[in-house]
Formats: sequence, structure tokens, C-alpha cells
Amino acid sequence: MTSLPNSQSPFSGKKNRRVPALWAASFAIFLTASAAAQAAGDATVTITPNSPPVAGKVPSVVVAPVALVTAPRAAQTMVNLDFRVPRGYHINSNTPKSEFLIPTALKMDLPTDIILGKIQYPEGQDLTFPFSPDEKLNVYTGDFRIVVAVHPLLSVTPGKYIMHGVLRYQACDNSACYPPKSVRVEFNVKVVKEPAQHHANPAQSPHVHG
Amino acid sequence: MATLPPIPPPEALPPPRPGRNPLALVVAVLVVAGMLYFGLLMARRPGGHARLTTATVAPDFTLESLDGKSMSLSDLRGKAVLLNFWATWCTPCKIEMPWFVELQKQYGSAGLQIVGVAMDDASKEDIAKFAKDMGVNYPILIGKEAVGDEYGGVPGLPETFFIGRDGKIVDKIMGLKGKGEIEDDIKKALDTGTRASAAIEPVQSQNKQ
Repeated sequence: MTSLPNSQSPFSGKKNRRVPALWAASFAIFLTASAAAQAAGDATVTITPNSPPVAGKVPSVVVAPVALVTAPRAAQTMVNLDFRVPRGYHINSNTPKSEFLIPTALKMDLPTDIILGKIQYPEGQDLTFPFSPDEKLNVYTGDFRIVVAVHPLLSVTPGKYIMHGVLRYQACDNSACYPPKSVRVEFNVKVVKEPAQHHANPAQSPHVHG
Repeated sequence: MATLPPIPPPEALPPPRPGRNPLALVVAVLVVAGMLYFGLLMARRPGGHARLTTATVAPDFTLESLDGKSMSLSDLRGKAVLLNFWATWCTPCKIEMPWFVELQKQYGSAGLQIVGVAMDDASKEDIAKFAKDMGVNYPILIGKEAVGDEYGGVPGLPETFFIGRDGKIVDKIMGLKGKGEIEDDIKKALDTGTRASAAIEPVQSQNKQ
């Protein structure tokens, strides 16, 4: 499983202690965004600190914002998608050990002529839980990374494109499981022209001697 | 004819107000955002019996069992009922099921009826296969969100309600707990009312699956 060092965590934010008003305003925006997300039935847009589980509260996996991806045409560009499972919860990996368990799965909906390469899921951790001491479950906990490959074809007009997707998962804590949920995934790709082809320069040919 | 008061010279006007206090603005924004947040939270709460407590009459429902027959909770009045909300994707639920099988055998003759409600997106066939693999000996009903809402939304599984012979909730357990705790609650449910009442109101649905 891919773990992310704290110093490079895409979930960590900068603090500006000199501007309390800005901090308070951010908090207000957080409250409003949380309310909007709750209303939409999907708490996916806000990155919050990893807090302990709350009994009866359905946990939400969050996705870190993705920086603009520059992808040359006719080439494959890897995009890292970082997710966080709230502390105290786990979700099934992409390859759970039982046919009845719901795997974590990313489904991307890409624009025409931008091909999705293989989705690389991290390996899950084999863990036992108090409710299942004799059976190991393959799960993701904490932060994990899924890597997707985008491949703009030559026919794509250079420019900015938005990639949409959904990560479906099903979370449990140490004594209960929660209904499957989805988190929206979105990132921007700037498609640029493919690098110029390098033609052999006769002047540099080892066979040409001035 | 009334005359308008003369327009005061510019210097007589009150001095322009300095910029508003940014802290007051922030506080106002916080208050509005907080009200919006909690208002929406309250609006999203499931209605009806969101706060079921003991001594509340268990909400009645009619659901389809795995064999296609309808079954109502009220059919079981006079029996102690263990109502278990579960799903095939819920590993803790899987741990409880063998316990329920044993407890049904042990306390069935004393008037216990265990009922499973599958809160699942899986097909009826998959649920039936799962139940068969687990050796379930009690009815499994295909759950509906509306029934879950009546029982407080059932946010996590398993969730189990213990209902007395009089139809009132005796206790509930959220998440997986020990078999001993479940058995204690079964005894509490069996102790409600009398067995005579069970005889007066015979149970119409037994092991309907």
C-alpha cells in the first residue's frame, strides 16, 4: 500500500497565524461547503483533518486536490490520485478476499480521444479485526494512492480538459459496516502538442568527418 | 408653501465612516454559515422514528421474504422478536449469523423469532445464496430504505432490535457485540408479557423463507 510521508501529504494545508480573520473566513467557507456537501449527500469536496470515528456516522473518504496535469499528445501521463480514509475506519481494497465484499473501484469518464490507461490500485493490507479474528481482510486505511494513466490521442486539440470520475467504496470500523458510498474525483489535464520528433543530424553523424 | 431645509455645506456632513470592522463581518459570516450548516443537518435527519427508544412500539412493516411471501412484523405479536438489519457486504454481520442460528434453536420453543432484514443492493438470489451458505434457519426479508428510516435510519450494520411480546422495543444493539449481550437481550424480550398471550395470538409466520 502506498503511504505518503507527512511532509509531502497532499492533505496538509498551510497555516497563516498572522491573519486570524482569514482563518475565520476559511472556517466559515468550510462550514458552508460542508453543508452543501451534506445536502448533496456527498461529503467529498472538503479536505478535513483526520478525526476519530463517530458512532453511527457514515464515514466519507476524501480526495486531495490534484494539480494541473500536463499531458503531451500521443504519450501516456501518469496521474496520482490521493485519498484519505478517516481514522478508525477501513475500506475494502480493490481485491477483497470475499465475493460478497464490495471492492474499492475507480471509474473514470474521460473526454473523447483521451484514453484511460490501466488504473493502478495499491496493494491492500491484510488485517484482522475484532469482529473477525480468524479471517484476514484486505483493506485500505489512512492515506492511499491510485495512479491512472491518461493518453491523449494525436487527434485531441491542445487545451485544458476536465476529467471526471467516481471512487466507490464501502467502509467499516471495528464493529460495524456502512453502506457503500462514492466520492467524486476530478482533475484538469492540459493537453499539449507532442514533443518534436528528433531527426538525425548529418552534421553530428559519427560517419561524417569534417 | 413649505420650504425645504437648505442643503448643508459639504463640511457639515458627518465624516465618512471608516471601513467596517472586519472582525464583525467575519462573525456575521460565521453565524450565517453555522445556521445554514445546522439547518441543513436537521433537514437531512430521517423523519418518523429517528429516535427509537425502549418502550416504543416497534414500527410495523411488511416486507417480502426470500421465498416471495409477504411478512409483517405485526404477524409476530405475542412472540419475542430479534430484528436484525444486515447486509451481505457486512463482515461483522457474518459473525453474528451463526450465533442467531444457535439462539433460534435454543429459544425458539420459548417464543423467540429471529428475523433478518437484508439492507442490500445485492440480488435476491445472492442474498439467498449467502443465507444458505450461513445455514440461516430464520426468515430473511428484503429490506427497504423506508423501513430502515422507521428504525432510525440504520446508519451502520449490523443493527439489532429486541422486541417484546407486546410489540415494544426492549433494547437495541448497534454494531457487533458479544453473543452474551445478545442472549441477555433475548431473555429480556422473552420476559415481556406472558406465554399465554403467545398462545392467544398464534404466530402466522414461522420460518417463511
